[in-house]
Amino acid sequence: MRVMLAAAALMAGVVGEAHAQEGTNDPFEPVNRVVFGFNAVVDRIAIEPIARGYRAITPRPVRTGVSNVLHNLRGPVIFFNDVLQGEPGRAGTTAVRFGLNSTVGVVGIFDVADAAGFERHDEDFGQTLGTWGVGSGPYLVLPLLGPSNLRDTVGRIGDAGLDPLTYVDFRDDEIFRGARVGLTILSTRESLIEVIDQIRQTAVDPYVTTRTGYTLARESQIRNGVTDLDSLPDFEEAPELDLQSEETPATPLVEQPSTTQEDPTAQDLLS
Amino acid sequence: MKKSISAAVVAFAIAIAAPAAAANQAAERYVDQNANAAINALSTADLAIREARFRDLFRQFADLQSLSSFVLGPQGAAALRADPALNREWQAAFLDYAAAVYETQLDRFRGNEIKVVASVDRVPDKDIIVTTEITPRGSTKPVMVKWRILRRGEGWKVLDVAIADGGNELWLAQQQKRDFAPILGPRGDVRALIGKLKEQTAQMRAQLAR
Repeated sequence: MRVMLAAAALMAGVVGEAHAQEGTNDPFEPVNRVVFGFNAVVDRIAIEPIARGYRAITPRPVRTGVSNVLHNLRGPVIFFNDVLQGEPGRAGTTAVRFGLNSTVGVVGIFDVADAAGFERHDEDFGQTLGTWGVGSGPYLVLPLLGPSNLRDTVGRIGDAGLDPLTYVDFRDDEIFRGARVGLTILSTRESLIEVIDQIRQTAVDPYVTTRTGYTLARESQIRNGVTDLDSLPDFEEAPELDLQSEETPATPLVEQPSTTQEDPTAQDLLS
Repeated sequence: MKKSISAAVVAFAIAIAAPAAAANQAAERYVDQNANAAINALSTADLAIREARFRDLFRQFADLQSLSSFVLGPQGAAALRADPALNREWQAAFLDYAAAVYETQLDRFRGNEIKVVASVDRVPDKDIIVTTEITPRGSTKPVMVKWRILRRGEGWKVLDVAIADGGNELWLAQQQKRDFAPILGPRGDVRALIGKLKEQTAQMRAQLAR
């Protein structure tokens, strides 16, 4: 999702008037909007067409295999972050996944560990800093890399430091690293075609939607996706307003069910 | 003696647990029926009928009044209370926008079935999170969709929906509240937001018609 939202920043941007927003730490908004616009142009003219072409010429199993290999390469980084977050269970899962997928799964092409019950998850040093209580800092839009914040930008450097491949020298290692970055961008953008299309269609201001989405997603990722029931907002019950009085009466497709078992199903009512 | 104390404890636990379990069942059933009805409505071939069906379902399934007030924040909600005409205009615009957003977002699940997998009480019998699973078209991996439903009178209403994917969850109403805030500005300019939403809704409708 982190990568997904990073790619979301590459979408077309509507640069509107900036307003100070309570609870949003975006002091560099004017600059961020310019970078967001730049990323959107790069996406429109280069990254999106290549990603759509990649989808058109490769079968799904090939794309899944590429995505699996890239995720498997991140195994050690995820493992170290699991450990740094004090999550031995998740660290164990990551270690087993890396071992199984690198061997039985043929360098990670096949996610055999997932089928064996070792579910895939992601971690990065930005999340680790978050679990240590480090605040997000100001929101940033990075050229080509998309949405971030000060903590997550530092986290990227931390992840590079935790990645064993940073220190390994081998023949054509520069080509390998370049190909890894290129394939990561391509694979991520391809997987996000529908998501980004959807943001383009529904967002009132794509810059703000991307910022909100990134911020909320990162908060959720730091909690490992667990719903924090206490932090959910309260909804005040507003008085009924009869909108139908000025409109065509609505067809009663679904009755409001009570807590009894005798209610008709919505499907019954639709059929 | 020990046995009778244990039995009494068990009986008491069952007595207090039973209403909560029944409430969860009813909540789960409510989501199961209505969420699937919404997904089914998306398969309607005629676009005008599809839009009307989905809109009506949305109006009945969601607590539109509370939701549309929440996304405005305190300033905007105060503006609505002070001006009933504005309130009516806002709710109509928000209904059109929100129905189009949900129609767009749920379109990738069209033709598939939503299955309830769990539920948890935030406040027993009043505020419940129902977790469902559905597989998007062209994918083999199900996505988790969470429904926050609140008791309203004798029944239930949906207040927020989260799509949980890749280790995180985004609650739509919370996102909309933050998205709308810059347009509302510090004075809660609801009219400016109505204008933006109408514009966006027209774009979404044009896109859905393609």
